[in-house]
Amino acid sequence: MARYSLRVNGERHEVDVEGDTPLLWVLRDELGLTGAKYGCGVGLCGACTSHVDGAAARPCVTTTADSTRARITTIEGLSRDGNHPVQRAWRELDVAQCGYCQPGQVMAAAALLARDPDPSDESIEEALRDNVCRCGTYPRIRAAVRRASRIMRDER
Amino acid sequence: MISRRTLLRATGAGALLVAVPVPASAAGGLVPNVFVRLDDAGRITATVPRPDTGQGVRTVVALMVAEELAVETGDVTLEQAPGDTERFGPQTISNSSSVRQLATPIRTAAATARCLLVTAAAQRWGVPVAECAAKDGAVCHPRRGRLPYRVLVGAAAALDPATVPVELTPPEKWRLLGKTRGGRVDARDIVTGRTRYGIDSRPDGGLVAVVARPPWLGAVAQAVDDTAARALPGVVDVFPLTAPGEGQGGVAVAARSTHQALRGRDALRITWTGGTPAADSRAWLADLEAALPTRSPIDGVQRVYRMPLLAHAPMEPMNASAHVRPDGVTVWAPTQDPGGLRTMLARQLGVPVASVRVEATASGGAFGRRVEPDPVLEAVACSRRTGMPVSVLWTRADDMRNDSYRPMSVHRLTAEIGADGVPVRRTHEVVTWPLTVLPLFANPALIKASGDHFPYTVPGEVSVIVRPAPLRTGFWRSVYSGQFLYAEENFLSELAARSGLDQVALRRALLPAGSRLHRVLDAVAEKARWSRQEPGTSRGVACLEEYGSAIAVIAVADPRSREVLRVHAAVDVGVALHPSGVRAQVEGCVVDALSTVLGAQITVREGRVAESSFGDYRWARIGQTPDVDVTIVPSNAPLGGLGELAYPPAAAAIAAALAGGTPVTGMPFGTDVG
Repeated sequence: MARYSLRVNGERHEVDVEGDTPLLWVLRDELGLTGAKYGCGVGLCGACTSHVDGAAARPCVTTTADSTRARITTIEGLSRDGNHPVQRAWRELDVAQCGYCQPGQVMAAAALLARDPDPSDESIEEALRDNVCRCGTYPRIRAAVRRASRIMRDER
Repeated sequence: MISRRTLLRATGAGALLVAVPVPASAAGGLVPNVFVRLDDAGRITATVPRPDTGQGVRTVVALMVAEELAVETGDVTLEQAPGDTERFGPQTISNSSSVRQLATPIRTAAATARCLLVTAAAQRWGVPVAECAAKDGAVCHPRRGRLPYRVLVGAAAALDPATVPVELTPPEKWRLLGKTRGGRVDARDIVTGRTRYGIDSRPDGGLVAVVARPPWLGAVAQAVDDTAARALPGVVDVFPLTAPGEGQGGVAVAARSTHQALRGRDALRITWTGGTPAADSRAWLADLEAALPTRSPIDGVQRVYRMPLLAHAPMEPMNASAHVRPDGVTVWAPTQDPGGLRTMLARQLGVPVASVRVEATASGGAFGRRVEPDPVLEAVACSRRTGMPVSVLWTRADDMRNDSYRPMSVHRLTAEIGADGVPVRRTHEVVTWPLTVLPLFANPALIKASGDHFPYTVPGEVSVIVRPAPLRTGFWRSVYSGQFLYAEENFLSELAARSGLDQVALRRALLPAGSRLHRVLDAVAEKARWSRQEPGTSRGVACLEEYGSAIAVIAVADPRSREVLRVHAAVDVGVALHPSGVRAQVEGCVVDALSTVLGAQITVREGRVAESSFGDYRWARIGQTPDVDVTIVPSNAPLGGLGELAYPPAAAAIAAALAGGTPVTGMPFGTDVG
């Protein structure tokens, strides 16, 4: 056990854990940020997708010891009011079914739009390729990313 | 204030309502029955009796209550019911039944509240009830103005509900139900990460447990060296789960945190024994095929179809939390059956039902897996042992390798062909396994009833041979329909191709004119522009009437690239209460179909399930998924079910489209099965 200092959603947190603890379990067990979901633990399903320094990352395969210099954003920190364009588009198109994978999908989509505000369908499919949705909401996800892109353009 | 309570109870599979008056309570407010209540401030709370596993039952309940009480869904606070079949009736998510069975009781509950409020207002004003109407959370009268519900709650609660006629809002007056606007009521919580699933519902101060599970089928721990595990930080206890009623069995490691529990499990040294270390799913399939009778009942064109094992693999892996105390037990679980769990736990623990509380959390998918109690049994066993609240977590590999799989099956279809190329007689011989999670499902007649929905006017017989299952099998979305219909519809498409007949025209000819299936088939053929085939594409079609609903699906594929380009579906669900939800269920089934046809299957090698995660259980990804076009066909039929309807025909249509006229021989398409 050792003490690590993490910057999550704009705040500093001190945690006492083993350094090899995956960041996902620190977010969930220590910080109570349960929006990042456990789906596979090996970086295959995308349910835990969060942002590390603004890019989509997988906290389930990132150790705590390697995260101390990072700027970490979870779904809870994506927007203050739940109205990030991606979150709005997701609601407008009624994307979610069970919703379990959706925080990860939303974070992956938000990271994509931050670097590519007007992505092609190929870019959307590439960016979200490893975010599994077992309910089969993919057609709506694709449409919602396009919608979010338009919302962002209209508000620029 | 005196209030009268009426308990409206849904009993059995139908919509029979039993009104049971309950003594007045000191709680106050207007409580026409167990599903709806208005407090003294006029705030509306609806109880959702069944869990939401993604099928959208919470949204439909909110829509029904808001509709009948003339408010918006945002004005209705939802409470998820704990397990309690005495109060809430059957709470099992199964057979696509939730909305069908809840619509009448819930709508009646809210309509009762509305009629009591309207009557109370009419009495206060001294005007006829017929001149008053509920609107925007108030009762309105053309000359007297409006009285908000909150000022009427007391008077309404004092009325005897038996004296107030209750009328449901007729569909032509619906503002919310049946409309395209409005999405899932939990959407904001979902996209902000606030929804609490089972995995997020850890009791305060509790432990996390993971279980070392058998490395091959049926293995049991003979010797356990836990020295290294116990020496690790945070590990609190290590103990075997072997007794009946403790789940599937293994060695549990309970620790302060998830990571510590996982590390503890890694450090165990276990000697395993018994079981079937040589089991192989290819051999199982061969055994099933060998069990087919030597000869078919008829001679004719014949095809054998081989169906694989499938895992449920919900995005939220199996998990459950329990706190066993001297005075009772509380369970938090993503479950498809909170009521059944509660009864079962009380019986098993030998405690009164009233001392068992089952909180149904949100559920990250279910697909049939969460009707089973095994993760809950493990959590209860761990909490009993440690005396603390315990959350049991299954890793993805635990989940995929210890599922209750959809059974393998072999189908031999034979048809006699008439002079015009149309089949005139058919047989369908099935060899499969029972569903081990429900012994009832070893009965061939029940398996046949689940799987056989052949709607076409071709006389024939379906026979089922049941062989012992070599591993756990269970309910998987659509149950046996998924296997039976895949064989039947692909066979029909093959017969059409063989006779040079159009797939749709052949089905039209074999469906009774004016039938629901005939109508949805016409609708989907028109939507998919069936009469005009694009060059380089091939198409497949399939139909199903089940769960009180009818559907026809057309898939368009590029067989060379093995790419599905489009899927069209037309559904008749009787009444589409939440059209976006109707479409969502069809879309979801199409992705299940795409996944299982394109390559997701479970295989067993050297006694163990080879697949362990989404890398090798090849579920479809966004780039493989085409747009899905869903037409909701207007209908006068009663409310139908939908959660499982589209999977079987979508799988058959997609396979036929990919095959492009060549015979389909099994699932996945074009891959070795098993």
